[in-house]
Amino acid sequence: MSGFRDRTAIAGVGYTPFSANSGVSTLSLAVDAVLAALDDAGLTVDDVDALATHRVGDSTPPWVVAPALGVPEVTWYLDQFGGGSVSHAVLGQAAMAVASGVARTVVCYRAINARSEFRMGGTGRGPAPVFDAQYQAPYGHLAPPQQFAMAARAHMNAYGTTAEQLGAIAVTQRGNAVKNPRARKRDPITLDDYLASRWIAEPLRLLDCCLETDGACAVVITSADRAHDLRHDPVLISGAAWGGGDTFLSGAGSGPAGTDLTVTEAARLAPRLYAAAGVGPDDIDVAELYDCFTYSVLVQLEDYGFCAKGEGGPFAASGAIGPGGTLPVNTHGGFLSEGYVHGINHVAEAVAQLRGTAGDRQVAGACVALSTAQPGYVLAGTSALILRSDR
Amino acid sequence: MSLSERPRPEPDRDSAPWWEAVRRHELIVQRCDGCAALRFPARSVCNRCRSRNWTWVPASGTGRVYSWIITHQVFLKGLADEVPFLVLLVRLDDGDDLLMYGGLVGAGADVLRPGLPVEAVFTDVPGEDGTTLVQWKPRDLVS
Repeated sequence: MSGFRDRTAIAGVGYTPFSANSGVSTLSLAVDAVLAALDDAGLTVDDVDALATHRVGDSTPPWVVAPALGVPEVTWYLDQFGGGSVSHAVLGQAAMAVASGVARTVVCYRAINARSEFRMGGTGRGPAPVFDAQYQAPYGHLAPPQQFAMAARAHMNAYGTTAEQLGAIAVTQRGNAVKNPRARKRDPITLDDYLASRWIAEPLRLLDCCLETDGACAVVITSADRAHDLRHDPVLISGAAWGGGDTFLSGAGSGPAGTDLTVTEAARLAPRLYAAAGVGPDDIDVAELYDCFTYSVLVQLEDYGFCAKGEGGPFAASGAIGPGGTLPVNTHGGFLSEGYVHGINHVAEAVAQLRGTAGDRQVAGACVALSTAQPGYVLAGTSALILRSDR
Repeated sequence: MSLSERPRPEPDRDSAPWWEAVRRHELIVQRCDGCAALRFPARSVCNRCRSRNWTWVPASGTGRVYSWIITHQVFLKGLADEVPFLVLLVRLDDGDDLLMYGGLVGAGADVLRPGLPVEAVFTDVPGEDGTTLVQWKPRDLVS
């Protein structure tokens, strides 16, 4: 699956501010982020011929955003159903559309009022629209923190993973956010602060959870050749992969994860992703790992091959994932501290790192980045990108 | 423990017989007519042999605790009076890939450990809509 390796590039990124209450519609957020991304690339709406997003009934689709912006003609669009697990599949499919010639300039966006309108973990929202929720919701078990808490407990049971190890992830990422002007949480925290934070769903505490956020982020994808003529050094899309097969309640354990909650779909996707990009875990300079919760970072450290199964806790607590470590992780603070825009702000941070424009949080010499989606609970499947600088 | 404010089961066309059995205080799973594999949740096709034919059969009703959480956050306003509450994920003795959720009855969280033997019990939810839920009781407490 190396068919489009390095043939497409990210030429621009754009953000709205991240907040607890944007006060505006998701259409407004989407428009602002798309325009910011185009401006970053040195392009205009007249250059756009495709838009792509994902949503779970909580945002504004391409066929509303395009006419709102006055896009001259849409030749391809993607309105993907799904949450965080498909966040990177949207970008992968956009890259495929560009590589195939179907589209020339795709703007991918995600626009949500995830705090003020449609809270993932909030009161008043019904069960997630997924199969098999019927077996959980009657027990009051329906929010993402509960799903991931169940997995975290299973990991603790199997491997002795500790609260302190989860806490190391929260503390490390907050330290990164201190250096990120865009981050919503910039006050440093200690492990004691983490341990003192209130329970959400044991074994997960408040500081294990990401920040439900109002905001949008957008990314412009075009051909690598064309990107070279634009404003910034291109960030090449070296590899993209998405897919799945199991859910943890799929009933038959048809894949390697089966009904083992300590293994995610990322374990099956990772070899395909690395092969697509022609690199391995040792080549990754910086990793933006989907952090709806601390635990999702821990399990992806294992499933993307940075340490052995069961070693994610000790690895996270060793300092390896911090600044100057062997694998700096979530350099912007991640969803835990920058803000949760459902995946795409990880890609935007990876672009900054590979451009060398990440300021105080820059990973020296970063050339290859991994950016990942929700690793496969709730909805079956995951997605991820490997990006490479072309400076 | 009050369950009256919890979301109601929403059976689909595949799972309706399972919920009807639970209402009768019976725990059942599907057995594939093609390869005899047991499966849960309800599906209209076997993902091993792809047979479209199956038979609902009784499950043993016993299993072992795989994982559990204690929810403190109020995710639904109707559950505000119930937190903190405990939910188990149980691996049935009938097969390693058969998992079911449920609450813990007859004991507190202090007895929980991985592999704790449990047995299904049935709770009729107060109210007029005839809902019954599967719960789990530590096996050495089952009389």
